[in-house]
Amino acid sequence: MTSCLPTRLRDGELAVDTRGITKRFGDQVALNDVTLQVPTGAVYLLVGPNGAGKSTTLKVLLDLVRAEKGTAEVFGLDTRERAPEVRANIGYVPERPDWGYGWMRVGRLLEHHALYYPTWDPNYAARLAQKFELRLDRKMGVLSKGQARRVHLTMALAHRPPLLLLDEPTDGLDPFMRDETLGVIADHLAESPTTVVLSTHHVEEVEGLADHIGVLRNGELRAQMSRDDLNANLRRYRVEVPDGWSGVAALNGTVLRRVAAPREVQWTVWGPEAEIVQKLSGSGGTVREVVPLSLIDATLALLNPND
Amino acid sequence: MLISLDPQDTRPIYIQIVDEVRRALVLGTLAPDGPLPSVRDLAVKLRVNPNTVSQAYRELERQGMVYVRRGQGTYASPGQTDGTERRTLAEGVAQRALHDARRNGLGVDELIDAIRNYNRQRKHEESL
Repeated sequence: MTSCLPTRLRDGELAVDTRGITKRFGDQVALNDVTLQVPTGAVYLLVGPNGAGKSTTLKVLLDLVRAEKGTAEVFGLDTRERAPEVRANIGYVPERPDWGYGWMRVGRLLEHHALYYPTWDPNYAARLAQKFELRLDRKMGVLSKGQARRVHLTMALAHRPPLLLLDEPTDGLDPFMRDETLGVIADHLAESPTTVVLSTHHVEEVEGLADHIGVLRNGELRAQMSRDDLNANLRRYRVEVPDGWSGVAALNGTVLRRVAAPREVQWTVWGPEAEIVQKLSGSGGTVREVVPLSLIDATLALLNPND
Repeated sequence: MLISLDPQDTRPIYIQIVDEVRRALVLGTLAPDGPLPSVRDLAVKLRVNPNTVSQAYRELERQGMVYVRRGQGTYASPGQTDGTERRTLAEGVAQRALHDARRNGLGVDELIDAIRNYNRQRKHEESL
């Protein structure tokens, strides 16, 4: 299979622009030649299995992790040379919020955090604290994972940064709070122009929010594209075939999945629909169904081709 | 007017919103010159990207179903009485039904017959 999945976005202003980032931890390759392109104003969903390099990618943008090769820019600023400026422009929700403030009360931590950000909006912070049902008198160290996550969301959002890096923002939250969080993010986007890079295992949650997707696997960015591009090119074709069907010559596209049963075959293909339907029909098959994929199904197909 | 999305629907979300507004206009739950929710409110309610709602509203405006009052909001266009929206809505229903029929290996005539028969049967049962 020759893959023709897009790995570069078309022209446009980029908020995040990495070029060929490579990072090793010991002899393990965490990121291999990753060129992440996030357009300004996009909500970019970064997907991949555990250990694919999602968190490491976000950390490179914050200069918390340094790549051995390649460059990373955020709003045109080199993340290594201009780290303080870059960080000032970012709201970050880490995957593991365990950085030694366990003794501090939530309210005090928010005040402390506010000092670093001139754009901190105390009214907004108070609204978020209420929405997230934060208990300001509790110590960080005794909070559950979900409670800590909500504190971090408040800290990330309340200074209205132009870039949000959300690493599993709904992890550990109960279903009600997960839903609330999505509402808060939608509201935030409506009020403040923001670029978002988020990683989540709950892809179905961001079906309505994400307008770009990047697929990481084993440290490699296998594909990245806009949702418009995805909607236009990825289809599942269900085809009824006659007994003793001889198959179809190469389809003009990238076959991600092919499931065959007697007299019926289903393809998931990236490519031009009209030409693919023509090829399939021309081979003696009857195309019964051509459907676009939901974001979660698309993600699975892109992540796990040839399943 | 209520706008809701079907998670099973894989069409782009802005198109689903356009269809929901069209339905509200045809059913009359959105009256002529009636206000649509703000982009922000609808985005929050549906948990979708505000850009997607804006895109839907732009499309509705392009199709003449709504108009924008600067600084005030988006309103339903008056005079949608020529049946255009009704026809478009019917076309959508037909498209989905045909798609489903085709998937099940049924032709148009079979589908139409089945709809007529089922409707007759249902009416008969209701009258009992």
